[in-house]
Amino acid sequence: MATRTTKRELQPSLVSPPVAGIASLFIPGLGQALARQVQRGLTLFGSLLTLVGLFAWQVSLLATREQGIDAKFVKALDRRPAFVIPILALIVILWLWIAWDAYRQAQPGQRGGLSVFALVLALFFILGWKISEINLYKLATELSDAKGPLSRVLWPWEAAVTRDVETTVAGADILSPCDDLPPPSPPVETPGEPYVVADPTCGDLSQQVEEGGVLKTVPGTLLTVVGRGFEPNTETQIWWSDPIGNKFQMRQEGRYLAIMTDDEGAFQIEIHMPYRLIPPSSEGRQVHRVEARQVSSVGDLKFSDALKHNVEKMVETIVLGMMATLFGIIFSVPVSFLAARNLMSGSPLTMALYYITRTLLNIVRSIEPLIWAILAGVIVGLGPFAGVIALTVHSIAALGKLYSESIESIDPGPIEAIQATGATRLQTIMYAVVPQMIPPFVSFSIYRWDINVRMSTVIGLVGGGGIGFLLTQYIRLLDYRSAGIAVWFIAITVATLDYVSAEIRQRFV
Amino acid sequence: MFQIKNLTKIYDDGTVALRDVSFEVADGEFLVIIGLSGSGKSTLLRCINRLIDPTGGQIIWDGVDISAAEPAQLRQIRRQIGMIFQHFNLVKRSNVLTNVLSGRLGYVNPWSSLLHRFPAEDREMAMAALKRVGIADQAHKRVDELSGGQQQRVGIARALMQQPRMILADEPVASLDPVLAHSILEHLERLNQEEKITVLCSLHYLDLVQRYATRVIGLRDGQIVYRGSREEIRAMTDREFKDIYGEEAVRVSVVPQGREE
Repeated sequence: MATRTTKRELQPSLVSPPVAGIASLFIPGLGQALARQVQRGLTLFGSLLTLVGLFAWQVSLLATREQGIDAKFVKALDRRPAFVIPILALIVILWLWIAWDAYRQAQPGQRGGLSVFALVLALFFILGWKISEINLYKLATELSDAKGPLSRVLWPWEAAVTRDVETTVAGADILSPCDDLPPPSPPVETPGEPYVVADPTCGDLSQQVEEGGVLKTVPGTLLTVVGRGFEPNTETQIWWSDPIGNKFQMRQEGRYLAIMTDDEGAFQIEIHMPYRLIPPSSEGRQVHRVEARQVSSVGDLKFSDALKHNVEKMVETIVLGMMATLFGIIFSVPVSFLAARNLMSGSPLTMALYYITRTLLNIVRSIEPLIWAILAGVIVGLGPFAGVIALTVHSIAALGKLYSESIESIDPGPIEAIQATGATRLQTIMYAVVPQMIPPFVSFSIYRWDINVRMSTVIGLVGGGGIGFLLTQYIRLLDYRSAGIAVWFIAITVATLDYVSAEIRQRFV
Repeated sequence: MFQIKNLTKIYDDGTVALRDVSFEVADGEFLVIIGLSGSGKSTLLRCINRLIDPTGGQIIWDGVDISAAEPAQLRQIRRQIGMIFQHFNLVKRSNVLTNVLSGRLGYVNPWSSLLHRFPAEDREMAMAALKRVGIADQAHKRVDELSGGQQQRVGIARALMQQPRMILADEPVASLDPVLAHSILEHLERLNQEEKITVLCSLHYLDLVQRYATRVIGLRDGQIVYRGSREEIRAMTDREFKDIYGEEAVRVSVVPQGREE
């Protein structure tokens, strides 16, 4: 700081304070530059330019259809005055502040205050908030909606077990629309067997009719459905089946229709015939069917398919990570020799090889395994093999670097000593180099194994096989319980591995 | 008879480490090389077994020109020359026995040695060597569990495994306490006297030089600036000492200890 002070004293401002202020009023930062604060001026100029640019971009997003700056601005002002006005005001204030700052900087003996940068940061923060669409209100209000899925993910184990189910069905035919021919006769009742009868046995489906430009719902014929011979006191679902085979559980006011049977196993319910799902062009008599279904669990608890799939894929994940680590180690050892400066410093040729290897390793390492998985998927298709390739490629680069650095840092003393005993080159490597290499080698390999298994849990997200593949599918199917099992498996595996690898590394090093 | 004739070493960066160095060492001598750090002591010792290739000159040992030896012949020569280092140069993560046995590498079958297999007699020899330097009970410890003095004894045991006719010691006591320095040098002295092994040793402390050397050469800037017999070095004055070491040198005393064991 002391040197800076003397520097300022030696080099006073080129212009007087008012001139500097006015200069910055026209070109922000120019005044500071004239006051021999070129960096400060450039920073302020750049900041203001960027802020104005970001603001203009946000304004144009608010008014995509309007042509011309004026129209866009007016539209944006109209749509979001609470955003546009304060930001515009702050930018103007910043501009003026920069001019005032230039005035101050040009005064002899003045030190550079930092308050102007605080305003710059505040503006960046406000615009950043808008650009990244941060919405705490949404977070607070919509969290409750996510309770269901989240609780299923957090405690998914109900989906880990299942029972076989047995369905008891009985139905009655319904004709639509009614015609002159006799309607379908009710089914014959056999004592002890489930039996359903509907009255009437023909009618009209629900439909929407346009009346004076307004869609109006005309409910279908009201049917009285009576069932007998079912399991007593059991939930019974009412299903509809149309002539082309669509089957769906009927709804009433948005809820699935279900009724409890009474002590004798009988029920009675009134339903409106549903909307038609068959094409209007279909002709002829259409015989629908109303069904009552009782679903009951039978047999012992057993592991669900979701659990089995998750176990399978978890094993695949761990194996995938191990294979990638193994291949990574095998290939990275020779590569690491090429990337070790102390081994390659012999001639210009080897040195060139060293630089090429190092550069390649750096490039490969800087590309994420997920991207390698996408590329590998293009070649070998989706599946664990693509994941193995991706993780192997990344492991070679990462391990190659780590190994080569540990080669570079070995103690040359023992090499010298073993050579002095009259040992051959191979003996020297075995007795002086290898013992020094083993601890870092083991440590880095296990570390990489840890990383690879961790990565393999997510490499499936882009089609690289493993449990991530399953996880994305479950999430897309909104099967949050099964997805929750996958999440739990991943967490348990990663935590275990973390612990194990730390333990092993501690023993070896 | 060991002769060095006009030995010169110029490093790739142009540093002249040795300039036309010539001297002779009779069998069974304890030759001490003195000089400041950077005067060329280490380079000289490493040229003798060609850990560093000299730029010019000859190293002749019993009529054999070491400086011109082919790789196979060089290994034959090297195994007869034990070497002890300032920083011990042991493989710290291996155990003591393995380090000592590695002194045998020039003699054993190169292929079976890669699997860490040594003949039984070599193992016995290693235990005997460790006993001789007084650390037989440490044989199965890892080297990094040992103290500095014990590590240097492992270094001596390793050199002993070579059944050497000559030992090169590059500042063997510079990283040890003065008390331990005597202990280590006494081991070397005993080898020198009892088995007539020629010892070439670089040392710093004048006290030690006067106590152990049978002959002394002084190096400065890669050139020999002093040659003295046992008697001459014992009579050496601080003035002569400063001639070799430069005006700023201060004589540091090492209190001699009674013989151990």
